[in-house]
Parts: sequence; C-alpha cells; structure tokens
Amino acid sequence: MKMNRRMVLKGLGGFTLALPLLESFTSKTAKAASDIIPPYAIFLRQACGVACAQNTDLGSETEKFWPTTFGALTAGTVQGRALDELTDHLGSVTAVGNVRMVNFNYGDGHARGAMQGLTARGPVVEGVGGDSEADGESIDHRIGAELNEGGRDSLFLYAGQNNGWLGGACISYRGSNNRRAPLHNPVNAYALMMGIDQEVFAELAARQQSINDLVRDQMTSLMTSPKLSAADRQRLQLHFDSIQDLSSTLSCNLTADQEANLDGASAGYDSNIGDEALSALRTHMDIAVLAVACGYTRSVAMQVGSGNDGSTRYTNLDTGEVMENYHYISHRRLSHDSSGSVIPNSDLLHHYVDRHFARAFKYLLDKLSEYQVPTGENLLDCGVSVWYNDNGNGPGHSSNNVPFILAGSAGGYLRTGEYIEATGGEGNHAQLLNTIGSAVGLTDGNGGPLSDFGDPNSPKGILNELLA
Amino acid sequence: MQTTHGTERRWATILYALVLTGGGCYGGLDGKPGEGADGADGGGDGDGDGDGGDAGDDAQGDAGDGVAGDETPAPTTRVARLTHEQWENTVRDLLYLADTTGLSENFRADPQASGYSFDNNALTLEVDQALWSGYRIAAADVAELATADASILAAILPPDGGDNVARADQFIREFGRRAFRRPLDEAEVSLFMAQFNQADALYSDEAAFESGVRIVIETMLQSPDFLYRVETSEEVIGDVIPLSDYEVAQRMSYFLWNTMPDDTLLDVADASGLSTADDVATEAWRMLADPRAGELIGRFNDQLFHIEKFETVAPSPTFFPDAPANLGISAVTEFRMFMNEMTLGREGTFADVLTSTETFVNADLAAIYDVPAPAGTEFELVQLDPTQRKGILTQVGFLAANASSVDPDPIHRGVFVSKDMLCTPIAAPPDNVPPVPPPMGKSNRETVAEHTSGPSCAGCHNTLINPYGFAFENYDAVGAWRTMDREFAVDASGSVVVGSAGAVDITNALDLIENMAASPEVHACYLQHLVEYANGRPAVPEDEDLVNRLAELSVGEASVQALIVELVTSKPFLSRATEELQ
Repeated sequence: MKMNRRMVLKGLGGFTLALPLLESFTSKTAKAASDIIPPYAIFLRQACGVACAQNTDLGSETEKFWPTTFGALTAGTVQGRALDELTDHLGSVTAVGNVRMVNFNYGDGHARGAMQGLTARGPVVEGVGGDSEADGESIDHRIGAELNEGGRDSLFLYAGQNNGWLGGACISYRGSNNRRAPLHNPVNAYALMMGIDQEVFAELAARQQSINDLVRDQMTSLMTSPKLSAADRQRLQLHFDSIQDLSSTLSCNLTADQEANLDGASAGYDSNIGDEALSALRTHMDIAVLAVACGYTRSVAMQVGSGNDGSTRYTNLDTGEVMENYHYISHRRLSHDSSGSVIPNSDLLHHYVDRHFARAFKYLLDKLSEYQVPTGENLLDCGVSVWYNDNGNGPGHSSNNVPFILAGSAGGYLRTGEYIEATGGEGNHAQLLNTIGSAVGLTDGNGGPLSDFGDPNSPKGILNELLA
Repeated sequence: MQTTHGTERRWATILYALVLTGGGCYGGLDGKPGEGADGADGGGDGDGDGDGGDAGDDAQGDAGDGVAGDETPAPTTRVARLTHEQWENTVRDLLYLADTTGLSENFRADPQASGYSFDNNALTLEVDQALWSGYRIAAADVAELATADASILAAILPPDGGDNVARADQFIREFGRRAFRRPLDEAEVSLFMAQFNQADALYSDEAAFESGVRIVIETMLQSPDFLYRVETSEEVIGDVIPLSDYEVAQRMSYFLWNTMPDDTLLDVADASGLSTADDVATEAWRMLADPRAGELIGRFNDQLFHIEKFETVAPSPTFFPDAPANLGISAVTEFRMFMNEMTLGREGTFADVLTSTETFVNADLAAIYDVPAPAGTEFELVQLDPTQRKGILTQVGFLAANASSVDPDPIHRGVFVSKDMLCTPIAAPPDNVPPVPPPMGKSNRETVAEHTSGPSCAGCHNTLINPYGFAFENYDAVGAWRTMDREFAVDASGSVVVGSAGAVDITNALDLIENMAASPEVHACYLQHLVEYANGRPAVPEDEDLVNRLAELSVGEASVQALIVELVTSKPFLSRATEELQ
C-alpha cells in the first residue's frame, strides 16, 4: 500500500490551488501589506575549488574563473572565465577575491571547507576527517532563527546523491555538533510552505489547533520532568518550537502548471548524474525564490553533492558526455580506473563544472530578477545571493582565495558590479559572513552590524570595502 | 544533534589498546605522526586488556549462564525518537496492515551521525519543522486511510455493542495502549474522549463516530508518546533504575523487530511478565522465532557491513567483460540470505559468519565462485571451495565493494577489517593525499605499498591497514579467486596482529580469518557494535563489562541468537543509570 506524493500534497489541503504567486508580483498585488521584501540571503555551495591559475604537479594551469582585473565587472573582464556565464547580471554581481578561511585541523581539506563555509568554525574534534562536525552555528541558520517570521526554520536544500563523504549534507548547523537535516526532494520543500485552500482552511486549521493544543500539553508535561537531561530537554524544546499552527496568510504556492511539473523536475534529486542533480537544484531554486518572495524565510542554503561532491558526474560541455566524478577531476587524477593516473585536460573539465554551477547560479538570478516588487526594485536586489566554494582551488584544496560570488545589494547595503579584493588575512572569511549577515539584518545586539559571528579567534567586524 | 565522538574513541582505545602497535598514525594537516589524531593513542604492549583476553576459558556456549558482574547501564536518553523505518513499521502494525504505507518517504532524511555506523543514534534524531510537518501530513493521511477502510476499522475498533460512548472509551484505551506502548492514564483517556466528542465538527466528510476515531488517530500519531520511546521510570533500586515492563517491552520490540510490541508482548507486560531476566528471555526467544527478527539481522548487519556500497559495484567492462550488470544487487541478496541463514536459520555463531564455506548463489555469483549454477533463477545454498573461501569477508559483496573497477583495494579492505572488525580507531588520512596510481610494471600490492610508504602514511598503513588488506589479494575486483595479478604471482602473505594473540604470520585471508574467528577482541568488536545498535548510541566505557562477557560467550560458541538473548536480559538493557545524561 504505497501512497504517492500527490496524495500527500492533497492531504495538505492544496487540492485546487492555482494562485500564481510569483506572477502576482509582476501585477504588484502580492506583499501589498508591506510593499517591501525584507533582505534575504540565498547560499549556493560548490565543492572542490575552482579552475583558477595555479601550479600543480602536472604543470601550470591558466586562469579560467576569476575576472582579469579588480574593479568594475565588464563583459571584457570576465570573457572566457566561468563568470562570463553571469554577463547578463554583472551589474548586480560582486566577485570577492582574497577570502581566506582558517586552516583548521579538520584532517581533510573538504571537511575544512564544507563545514567551515557557512559556520566560520573549526571542528568539534580535530583531525578526524570524514567523521568531522563543525563547532558552531551556520550563518544561514542564524539568519532564519533571528529574522524569520513565525519562528520558521530557514530552508536547507540538498541536491545530488546523499551520503558519501561527510555523510552528504554537511554545510548547515543549528549549533556546535548539531548538523541540520536537509530537504532533499523539492516536493517536500514545497509541501512545507504551500498555502492552504481557503475553502478547506477553516476546517484544517481547527482540527490542527485541536491536535496542537493537546500535543503541546503533552510535551510540556514531558519537558517539566526533573529527570530529563539537558540534551533531552533541548531536543524536545526543538520539537515543541517546531509545532506550528496553520497559517491563513501564507500563500506560497506555485502555479498549477508549476505544481504539476514539480514531481518530474525534482526526479533527479538523489542522482549522481550531474544534469539530473542540477535539474533538481533548479527546482530547489524555484522553491527558494518562492520562499523568499512570499516571506516564508529570509535564508536558504543549497548544497550540491556530498562533502567532496565525490559521486556527481557532470556533463562535458564540449562533447555532451558524462565526465568522471567531480572529485577525481578536481584532483586531476583517476584513482579507480585503469586508463592512467592523469585525467587528460582535467583543468578544463573542472572549468566545465564551474560553468555548470555558474549557469545554475544564473538561473537563480534570472528567476529573482523576473519579479518586480511594488517599490520598483526586483527581487534579486532585495537580498543577496551567494555562490561560494569550499576550497580555493582543485588539487591543492587551498583555504585561501576561496570564491565568494555575491549578487544583489540586499536593498542597497552592498556594493555591486565589481571584483573586490577583500582586506585582511587568514580568517577574513568570518568577516565576510558577518558582512552578509549584517546586510540581511543581523546585528551585534546593539544595533550595529553583526561582528562576532564565527570562531572567537577569527578577525571581528565586517568588510567595509563590500559596503555600498 | 550531539554526538559522543570523543567518548567513543576513548572507549575503543581502552578496550582494544592491545591491537594498536603503530606508534604514529595519520596526523593533522601537516601529516606529522600522531599530531591532531588519537589513532595512535594505543601504543599497546600486546598483552591484552585483561578483561576479555581469557574469554575462551569459560565459554561453553551456555549463554544463559553468563555472569553479569559489574555490568551497569550508562546514562541514556529518556526520549528516543523513532527512526523513519520504525515509524513505518509501527504504523503498519498499529493498523494491522499487511505492508507499510510508504508515507515516510516524504519525511526529510535524518542527518548522518559522525563516527556512528547506524541510523538510530537517539541523540541525533530530532524533530524540526520540516519533520514535524511531515509527521503532521502523514498522521492526517493515516487517519483518513484508517477510517476509509472497513477492514482496518474492524481490526482496531471494539465490536459495536450499541453504546457508542462505551465503544469510544474502549477504542481510546486499546488503541492508545498500542500507540503509546503503555496503558493510558485516566486523565489521558479523558482528554482523548473530549477530543473524540468534538470531532464531528472537525471533519465535514465523516460520520460522527468515525470522526472521533479519525481525530484520535491523527492526534496520537503526532503525540510525543508515539514518536518517541519514552522512559519515565525514576525509582532507584540498588544501583540502577529498573525499567517498567512496558519500557522493557518497547526496548525489546524496537531492538529485535524494529517496530512496536505486538499484542502478546503488551499482554505479557500487562501481567508484569517482563520483571525478571528469565521472563524476558522467554519473550526474546519467542520474538527471535518470529520473521520480524529479520529486521534486526538485516538492519544491523546491512549497516555494519556498509551494504550500500555493494549496490554501487561497477566493474570495468574492459577488464571484466563478463561481469553481470546487476552484480551488486546479487551480492546484496547473497549477503542477506547468508546472514539470515547463519544467525536465524540455523542458530549459527559469529565464528560461523566469519568462517562458513557455504553461501547462496545465483548463476552470476556461481560463475565468480566457480561452482555449478542453480538450475533456476532462485538463489541456492552451495558449498564453496574451502581452500579459497571462508565466510562473509570472502564473499563477493565485501570484496567487490572494496575494490576499484579494475583492481582490489587493499586499503579499504584493510581499513574495514581494522576499524569495523577490530574496532581499532584510525585517524583520517592527511590532507591532499593523491589517489593510488595504476599499477605500472608493479603488482597491485607493490603499488599500494609504495604509495603508502611515506612518513605520514606508513605509521598506520604498515600496521593497521595494509597487512589486513593485502591478505585479500587473492580476490580480484569482482571477488573471484586469483593467483596471478597481471604478470605477477599474488602475494597475500604477511604478519598481522589480531587482538591479544600478538603478531602471527599468515599466508592469505583464510589464515587471517581463522585468527579473527578465534580472537576475543574480534568477537568483542562485533558485540560492541551490537550493543551500540541495541542502545541506539555510540559505545561508552560502561558498556565494557557487558561487551566482554558477551564476547566470552561468543568465543565459546554461543549462537548469535543466544547472545542477543543475553544482551536483552542484561542489567544494562533492563534498567537505567541512576545518573541522567548530561
């Protein structure tokens, strides 16, 4: 007796919903209550570094990612680089160079980058490689926890084969040693936020209210037991806080056509074939855009592939064939094959993967740009979208010059249209996360910019050179 | 989510320090020996740990005579959330369905718990908004399903005696007892009765009585008493807090069956029939004879042996043109049938799992094992060549899953034996280790040995990894027996340390496996994993006495089933620590 997903969606009460919410933005009817989209952040994570200029044991590799010069981003400065995929949006983009993570002892470069990327923290236990956990909260979670209305969790979305290195999804943390579970299937992500048909809302809401009242009493009784440990109490509190009353105002719905396509477009969410995983990623992006547009969340984190994206096989942009897995390409070598130790032209193949991510990021920016808010801005500029990497480069897994490509000014807070060299040394990555957090609305508790996010020993404050 | 990574590693080091002869294992980022990793903590003297080393003396296979000694429970959670599989199985049994609903496919997956092999680490199983939403939607669907199906209603409702109030009251008590795995108190009955009575207004498409049934089901499936295995016992007797009969029942059922207690077990709990170890043993043997015990054998061994890797086996078509496309799937079937037969089918021992020369094959596997193929498409039990095969580690699944598409992978084969079979902590490799190059004019063994000979590698590889992995060089990348590696004669010999026996010379994997089967430390490692799985948490020092006692029994040829019964009748399983988890 298997039930398909459509039944679940029906069970949610979305039988006949076809409110074209996103389109409604163009008709300037949505968000009429505030006329303002509060700043948000959307993070897209890529693993394994980028194909930049570097020297490896195979020789020197030419620059294929970064713009030619610091300063204004133009079609000329990005020509031939992966960033030229973003040419349509260069006025909204900021490429941040010289972002340096801390060389924490995770025992593995992928773990160090993936788990530090949004947390700016070291490991809970040093040197354990694939068994690592980050020792602090991630910025996407902090934004959601402090800024989301109704106490809603921010979205953490994952595309690509689960498990693998670092257990698969590994970039978002509720706190030290407290990894968040991602939403893998975009259908499930959508089910979280979709609105409820007003014709059935009253009945559903009354029923759930009755259930919630009873369950909350039960949980309160359970949590008041003096015998309960702090760890148990913490988990139960999370559960208690997660109980939501149904909202009649939340109307985060795809159009009927989009809804009908959701299952098919999501099908590759657990695939190791790059095109399929990226298709699911684009569906996640549709959900992410919907989520920030309708006020469901102020933060979304999206991860593609495991801790080292070790199983995803992206498509060769020249031949259309599926390439070796990305991790091997990033190392420039095959480890599990017979044809030789070196993958021919692997720096170019790595560049193709960079382009795949650039195109996916462009898709996100396109979607955000399509929707105008009543104040005349488009949705893209209301927030900041961040395409970032775990490592600076491929074989070296460097913690220096880690790519952070920002798009959108977060309502005028951030500079755009430039390739900017971040100031500072090791750990200025934490300052970048403070800057992004501040742009979205996090503060230091006294009304000033967020300043102390990340490892206590990392540099404090924000990167002023990124401010508008 | 909180893990006990450090604790686990300390415990593993304490118990198995004797097997760690490598002075310096992988270090931190700079690869310095021993730095930043505790894999080298156990520079042991090889004399054994004194607890489990003499296991053979008292091991006559009489599991029931085990002496509890100083076994004590460790502080543990009072609220262990059901895994998604447990949720599915529980809903199935709660409604007396023939199959699971599949609704948990829409739950968000739980995150992996670092450093723990299984999916049931209670400290990492949380309910966040996404999962709560999944629970809510699924509960509504289950309730709708139940009230729309007359056969389900007939199974869960008391007979209609004409008094709907009495019938509702009886339903709430009976269904609630099964949903919460304990009787409801009167206050709870009143709450659910009140909810039942107001339900008519909550469902426009349901008759009044069915509405009541539906709201009760929908609510109970969102209740913490359903979603968690709650343990509320507080009374200290002696040095522990004995669990109630109902708490024992649910510990047993979720360990042995991965689902809720059946009506028989709840009836036994009603009659205080789980108050002594003998009572528990009686029920445990009954439950092991039930097909649902396959859930324990399957879930535990699948995860311990990383069976998910079996399914991804993909031999190179250039080098193995005859390799079947579904080799990995066949290997999974072989593994599961073998484990089930060895443990449940014939009450075999853990040594049997390690050394049996029988297995189950289809035509594809028969070709690899070089035995006659079964006549049909079904798997059949066959005898393998005892000079080539002994047990689970010489079967296709383990061997092919720990190989490249072309060559055997001695590193991963060795790491599995060392880490998962000997419980030896091994630190992560240093950063930026290049992959093993292809053999170019060398044997696979020589290539790997050379690749791992550097100062930052050799500390672990020369003692804790390579000797175990090289022993399997007689098996190629699909698990077939070989004596030649390209133009080189296979060399699977070496000197290995297996527990307290010290270094022994072996000629190949069969020697290694015989030594493992006789090693108390290997048995202890397997049972440490079983205790972890039973407790739903990584091992802690308090487990040591129980693990070592079970290991003694196992070396003495107690069956795996007898060991499971010993585990569930042990003091740590039947009680709580007087201290709570921090």
